[in-house]
This record gives sequence, C-alpha cells and structure tokens, in this order.
Amino acid sequence: MSEAFLIAKGIAKRFGGLTALSDVDLEIRAGEVLALLGDNGAGKSTFIKVLAGAHPPSEGQILVAGQPVSFASPKDAAASGIATIFQELALSENLSISENVYLGRELKQSVLGVPFLRRKEMKQRVAELLKELDAHISDPEAPVGSLSGGQRQSVAICRALNLNAKLVIMDEPTAALAVAETRKVLALIRKLAERGCAVVLISHNISDVFEVADRMVVFRRGRKVAERLRAETEPEEIVALITGAHPDVRALEKAQ
Amino acid sequence: MRRLNRAMSMLTGRELILLAACVVITIAFASASPVFATPENAATIMRNSVELLLIGLGMTLLLAMGGIDVSIGVVMGLSAIAVGRALGADLDPALAAVIGPLTGALLGLVTAAVVVLGRIPAIVGTLGLLGIYRTAIFVVLGGQWLSGLPTGLTEMLGTGLAGVPLSFWMIALAYLAVWLALRRTPFGLHLLAIGNSEEKARLSGISVIKVRFAAFVISGMLAGLAATFYVATYRNVEMSTGSTLALDAIAAVVLGGTSILGGRCSLVGTVLGVLLLRILQNGLLLIGVPSLWQTVVTGGLLIAVLSLEVLAGRLSFSKLGWASR
Repeated sequence: MSEAFLIAKGIAKRFGGLTALSDVDLEIRAGEVLALLGDNGAGKSTFIKVLAGAHPPSEGQILVAGQPVSFASPKDAAASGIATIFQELALSENLSISENVYLGRELKQSVLGVPFLRRKEMKQRVAELLKELDAHISDPEAPVGSLSGGQRQSVAICRALNLNAKLVIMDEPTAALAVAETRKVLALIRKLAERGCAVVLISHNISDVFEVADRMVVFRRGRKVAERLRAETEPEEIVALITGAHPDVRALEKAQ
Repeated sequence: MRRLNRAMSMLTGRELILLAACVVITIAFASASPVFATPENAATIMRNSVELLLIGLGMTLLLAMGGIDVSIGVVMGLSAIAVGRALGADLDPALAAVIGPLTGALLGLVTAAVVVLGRIPAIVGTLGLLGIYRTAIFVVLGGQWLSGLPTGLTEMLGTGLAGVPLSFWMIALAYLAVWLALRRTPFGLHLLAIGNSEEKARLSGISVIKVRFAAFVISGMLAGLAATFYVATYRNVEMSTGSTLALDAIAAVVLGGTSILGGRCSLVGTVLGVLLLRILQNGLLLIGVPSLWQTVVTGGLLIAVLSLEVLAGRLSFSKLGWASR
C-alpha cells in the first residue's frame, strides 16, 4: 500500500447541540477500498459528507496529498480529486451515457464564438472507459433511462473517473441491486482500486464488504470504534463491533 | 423511393403519425371545399403559420426544460407595437425589423427575472405577466388600432434572395439556430437535463439559473421576430394581437411530441404540429365553421393529446401532486 491520499485528523461535526461525529482520525490510501460500517446514525454518512465537501467539519483537519484543504462545497472537493456517488445517482435518464458522463463539463469546440459539442470524441472516450471498466455496455449512445441499476452505477463510476477522481466515495452502491448486478458493481469497485483510485464505501451488507474491502472502519455513536484489515478479521467480529457487543467497544464505551 | 424511405426513417413514430394526419385532413378538406386545395390557399396557410412556428420553436425550448410561457402571445403583441411605432416614425425598415426581436428579448428577460429569480412556477408567473401585459397593450395603444403602417418592412421581407423571399430564409435560419443550440451545444443538453430533474442537473454542475434565463430570452426573441413578420404582413396592430398564440403554440408543440413536463422534445414535431393546427383551422373555416370555434378545436386537441399520453403511460402528473386536485 502506498502513502495516504487523504488524512482526516480529529474530525468532529455538531449540528446545534447534537454531536454527529467526534474525534475521527482516518487515513485513506490510493489503490485501496475502505469500507465504513456502522448502525444507522453511527456517523458514517455525516463523515462522507464532510469528505465530499457537503458539510464543513466543526473541528479537525483534512489533508489531501499532504496539503491541508477546506471544502466549502462538493465542487471544491471535486477540484481536489474527490468524487461522490450518491445513492440516488445524479444521472439524467433522458440523456445518453456519454452525455451523462460529460454533463456539466462537455468537450467543446468554438466556431464563431458558439461552443459546439465534440460528440465524437466524447463518445469515443466513454466507450474506452466502459471497456476499461469491463462494464458490458456496448453503446455509449444508449439513454441512461434504458439501463439497469447496476449499469447506472457503472455510468456514475465512469463519470467519477472522467472527472479524474483520485478518491471515489460511494454510498450504498449495491443497496437496490439484484445479485448478478451486485457482483458486477463489486468487480467494478475492485477495478477502480486497481487503477490506483482510493474508494470509500458505505455498506450495510457485510458479505459485500468482505468481498471487496481491504480495510474496514466501524463507526458507533459518532466515533470510530475499530479499524480492521480484512485478512485479520471475521464477519462475526465486525457484527459484534457494529452492535457494541465486542469487548473492545464495551471497554471503550465504559472508559467514556 | 429509397431517398423517401431514408427521410421517413429519420422521423419518429409520433412525427409520422402527424405527417399522416396532415395528409388525411388535407384530402378531407379538399373534397369538402373547392377553395381549399388551391395554390392561393396553400400560400395563406403557410403565411398564417409563420408567427406560430417561430413562437413554437421557443415554446419547444421552454417545455423541454420543464418551463412554459402563457404570456408569449402578448409578448408578440407588445413587440409588434414597438415595430409598428418604429415604422410609423419612419424609421429605416431594417432597423424596425431588429426592434421586434430586441423588444421580445427584453420582455423575455423580464419573464426570466420573475420566474427564475422569483422561483415561481413558470405557469403561474407567466399567467401574472399575461394579465399585466394585456392591460399594457391597451394602455400603449390608447384603445385604438395601430393601422395604415408604411410598406417599407413588407417590401424588404418580400425581397427575393435566390428566388425565395427573404422572410423564408430568415425563418429557416431561425429554425437552424434553434436546432443547433438544442442538439449541438452544451446548452441543449443542459436544457434537457434540467427538464428531467433540476436537482440532478444542479448536482452535475450545471448552472441552472443561467440556462433557464437563456431559454426565456431566446423564446422572447423568437416571439419578437414573429412580431416583425406579423407587422410586415398585416401592417396593423390591435388590442387582441397575439392573444391566442400561447394556446396555439402549446398545443402545436405538445402535438409534436414535446413533453409538457420537460426532458423530451422534437423540433420537427413542432413544425408538423404547427402545420396540422393551421391546416385544421383553415379548413374548418372554409367548410363554414365560424372562427369562434377555432380556440375550442385547439383547446380540445391539447386536452385530448395530453389525455392520450397519460392513458398510454407516456406522461404522469401524479408526482407533481396534480392528479388529485
């Protein structure tokens, strides 16, 4: 594993009197898939929103490639190479795959001051990306509305890659998918990591997580309570960590 | 024949149906009225389609992004007054011709400011503007017709260029410009993305406000251009000028296959929708149906097409919460 792409130090987030996150330290390395686990309300969604630039942290610091950053918006995070794929994928169903991949940052060519689309190049590039990801989508001109849930995930991932994302954050990417589709998206996530991308993944599905993640971080009541390498843990241990039945968590919570 | 086949394959099912409908009603009216199938009457239908076509192009853009403008006919009326006044003041016809689109664009800017900045649903915001503009026309005209305008503009637009009147070239150019904007520039993609979902468009990094402003200004400009043609043809402007054009345009555009909820549109469909509507109105008049019934036909057609789309599952208003009201 290479050095950390992103380091979060002492991240806290408060909404009025409510503490959603406190004192979270985390490192995310290039080429690694990191899974965030935890019960509902454990703070993992708040944490990725901080990373994505959607919530400014109340305390703490984020370093990207060694440099301290502060994100005022998802646009700022994107400029630092962080792309977020939300559960309700922000894709336009009435537009084609290649149009979606480039939407908002199209390739243009100015003729007499009019910005014309470079459709052929966009189509070609998207066809390449789809092939590279082994996404099994043959026609980049197909409307996204005609695609399955898993194929839409591939398009969203293509979009993130095309933005030159170095860290892709995915919120429950397999939640609404059938078994075969889930397999495909998991394979896609591995592909992303092989390309040197860091992937942060929220999932409730422990078996998915064990299949795809290199490292797992468990959140509980707004704190990071455990961090495990996949090779060193078992699904039973992770479940115990999530529910608070694990002795480590008990000791930690007693100490507070 | 092969060339015809290729041309047909470029049309969608909806557009083919419209084309067939145009042919069928043309045959029907031709057999019912001896005057219908004459070159003079064909020219009249074409002539009567000009303003509706230009306004229809703009309305297609607005509907594509989930917008609408029910004041657009009156915007043409106001622009026509501006052109008429310019002509009446013996301004150069070329300059008077430009005043139309300019006034329209300015009014489009006002519409955009009200609807986009005010964050009011377009149908309600433009309904308010319709009320205001109607009285504005009355006040500006002082209750009198603007008539007997100089013929300079009429002559200029009638000038032949390569054997075809200048007006035809200008309309073709307007169509080409709108088509290019819609299908060949980022603006068109952004418009359709906004029509599909404004929230998703915003998340994709599209500047929603800018795109919506541009669409309203373009639509206003096209209505203003329509005003220039209107004044050139009739050389008068009255209180009710343009008052039925918004209904006609919405009906024609929806007939053409553009979704009233946005995200899907067809410019070819709009052209065919305009033709169908104008052939129908002209034919009904010629077989003796009083002109009073024209808006009944247009309104009925609009409701019928929307109902059919809902029945066919192509359209659903339920997510807007309109279904139960």
